[in-house]
Amino acid sequence: MGYLKYLLFRIANAILVLLIVTFIISALFVKVAEESNRSKMYEELMQWERTEGAKIKQSQGLEAFEQAKAAKQKALEEKYELNIPYWQKVYRKAIRTLKLDFGTTSMPIFGTNDVAEIIKVAVPRSILLFTTATVIVIILGIYLGVRAARHAGSLFDRSLSIFALLTYSLPMWWTGMMFLLIFAYKLGWFPLSSMFDPQLTGWEHVKDVIKKLALPVFTYVFVVFGGWAWTTRNIMIGTLQEDFIMAARAKGVPERKIIYGHALRAAAPPIVTMIIFALLGSLGGAIISELVFNYPGMGRLYWVALQQNETNLLIGLTYFFTVLYLAGVVLADMVYGFLDPRVKVGASAKM
Amino acid sequence: MRWVDIKEGFKEFLAEFKREKTGIAGVLLLVLLVLVALTAPYTTMPDLPEKWRSSAYWEDNPKNVPPNWYNMFTSHKLVPQRVYYVDDLKINHPSDTETIIEADYDFPKGYYKGPQGIIIRGLNVTLNAPSQAPTMDIYLLRPDGKRIPLLKNKPLTSSTTISIGRDSTVSTNVYIWLVNVTEGREITPFEVPLQTILISDMVAPMFAKVEPGMDVEKIIENPEPLWGTYKLVLDVKNPAPKYNQVDYSNMKVTFLGRVYGTMGTDYLGRDLWAGIIWGSRVSLTIGILVSVLSTIIGLVYGVTSAYLGGNTDELLMRINEIFASIPSLPILILIGATVGKVTLWFIVALLVIFGWMGIARIARSMALQIKEQTYIEAAKALGASNGRIIFKHILPQLLPYAFAVIALSVPGAVIAEASLSFLGIGDPSAVTWGQILNAAQAQSATTKGYWWWVLPPGLGIAVVGLTFVLIGTALDKILNPRLRRL
Repeated sequence: MGYLKYLLFRIANAILVLLIVTFIISALFVKVAEESNRSKMYEELMQWERTEGAKIKQSQGLEAFEQAKAAKQKALEEKYELNIPYWQKVYRKAIRTLKLDFGTTSMPIFGTNDVAEIIKVAVPRSILLFTTATVIVIILGIYLGVRAARHAGSLFDRSLSIFALLTYSLPMWWTGMMFLLIFAYKLGWFPLSSMFDPQLTGWEHVKDVIKKLALPVFTYVFVVFGGWAWTTRNIMIGTLQEDFIMAARAKGVPERKIIYGHALRAAAPPIVTMIIFALLGSLGGAIISELVFNYPGMGRLYWVALQQNETNLLIGLTYFFTVLYLAGVVLADMVYGFLDPRVKVGASAKM
Repeated sequence: MRWVDIKEGFKEFLAEFKREKTGIAGVLLLVLLVLVALTAPYTTMPDLPEKWRSSAYWEDNPKNVPPNWYNMFTSHKLVPQRVYYVDDLKINHPSDTETIIEADYDFPKGYYKGPQGIIIRGLNVTLNAPSQAPTMDIYLLRPDGKRIPLLKNKPLTSSTTISIGRDSTVSTNVYIWLVNVTEGREITPFEVPLQTILISDMVAPMFAKVEPGMDVEKIIENPEPLWGTYKLVLDVKNPAPKYNQVDYSNMKVTFLGRVYGTMGTDYLGRDLWAGIIWGSRVSLTIGILVSVLSTIIGLVYGVTSAYLGGNTDELLMRINEIFASIPSLPILILIGATVGKVTLWFIVALLVIFGWMGIARIARSMALQIKEQTYIEAAKALGASNGRIIFKHILPQLLPYAFAVIALSVPGAVIAEASLSFLGIGDPSAVTWGQILNAAQAQSATTKGYWWWVLPPGLGIAVVGLTFVLIGTALDKILNPRLRRL
């Protein structure tokens, strides 16, 4: 029962954090939006003065014009929510965001104005690119890491370590630019832009998508898998020195079983945490890398929203990123409890 | 902890560090980087950041050309930059009213393309009788004996800069000459196709084989080099030498190279090598400052939280979680894009605010173990204050780990700064690697194949990152003996 209580506590905690973060985000974005909305309102008011206002001035005189202008300004202020005090607006925005009512954008993106719909279009694309790549990275990284740990100090281990250190300091987007330069420009193996061709359907569409995904996926795997392998290696080396491994070896358990059955099982909690965060994080895309590859996923969407001043979309996306992270925290807690009984007992004993 | 203990510990640590080859390599790299950054004003130019944004300063440089050493790796050799000052030019005065200036230009055999353009500047004109202002004719004498009239009766003032290759009048004249030679007919400037003049390279045909019967479009598209000695002639006519004087002493004629400097140039003709050298300053400063500051804040925060415990601990950890759950890069971009003036200090502050959380959590879990040890209890019994116990008894224990954390978090900070300035969010008065890459992306350098523009800044980021990763992992290995190679 202790585990369930512990879990409920963690979930309640995550929800509390989410509430506060939503308010902070709303406060920040509403502040930004207020300024752009004010300038938009004055622009519209000027527009009105030049067209309808001028007509009223001609036909009904100056007084009627002033009245009509005041009425118009009030209407516009209401439209852009400039008549409401700042904190009240923040409160409203936060509540609406928590209810997943993100509102609409002023310009259509991906053919729709509804923020939720736009995100629904972009998420699968980020999944297609980053989640695929992350899965490859996880499999490759763990496999190579375990191998390096088994033969610690060997040539393979050393070269893997050096490769990991090298790629750890590379910005992914710069590596993307270089790969574009080499593989797309110089060798011509891949297209220069990863924007999908909307006219293709069926099998042709699938072929187009695969062709355009290949280079970004390759870049991601290239930059990230070294770090994964290296971390796995370090965790495994630590575990392989534990007494129970020596005991298993003394018992004559086959090496394969020791590695995958005993050591990897014991090393699992931190690795599983990494997997959870990597997989959930991949749904959010990557802002700069998507810009470099011109890939229409979540990251590029955020940049587009920022450029076009779409506050509603920005809040929606930021909220989405936050929820992903907190979901990762809760999931990691949950899995930790399953995999490492000490956590369960310790946590419930504390409560 | 007594001073002697620290000294002993440090000596022991130094002896161990000396055995780590990667760590030594990292330290050597760091020394090299610091030297490069410190000597930047002397090895390049002292006021590069101010000049970086003025496109006028870089006008005498060719645009988008690879570095000089590119010629070693290609069969298509490209001519380097050639500059003529007054002593390198032949100046004759056939009469009082006429001056002829000649520049001999050698287009060596085997080279693929002639200069990217020619820039003439630095004529000082004292004008007292404007109605009789001096004028200049420019033409190019080619090794095959042909003569290209480039400009006729160009009025001269002190600010006159003639840039052959960028000036459309000159390009028009070249086109007229091309038609004249190949087809034997004279056309007016109105018959010249404007698009060809503006888009194509009209300097290469000046240094290419042009014979009667050839096709003009083909020459422009695919000029075949004509090697030999060219002569650029400036014929200055000064009808009133008593009133108007022309001074040639500051004159400068530049034959723009197709290659330039150690690292080539970008779209404004800026010397990328100087930019890369100066960029190392910002990168190192921000990387080290951010990681040191966020590590100190994180350590103090985590230790305090663990030591105080109870509800304070819960509250502090909630605040930590809140900061950790805010998606940092999107929010950083938002803040950077909406705040009007961004300074380097502002960037440092932002990166620290969103960078201390992970270290705080590690420090907390370490301090929780240390807290239970008996010597802390003893200190408490002796009546030591909370501050004394935290700063004097717990923090020094974590210090070695702090150094490893500092070193290992530098690459992240460097990449974060580069990412922000890649998106155009950065101090406009500084030269950074991110900005250079930002310009490269905006000018689509990758899709045009300008590798000398994209490669070096990222390599710089990678080298700075690698330096600290090498140092950091060496420290980590010494402090975490389990990671040592078996």
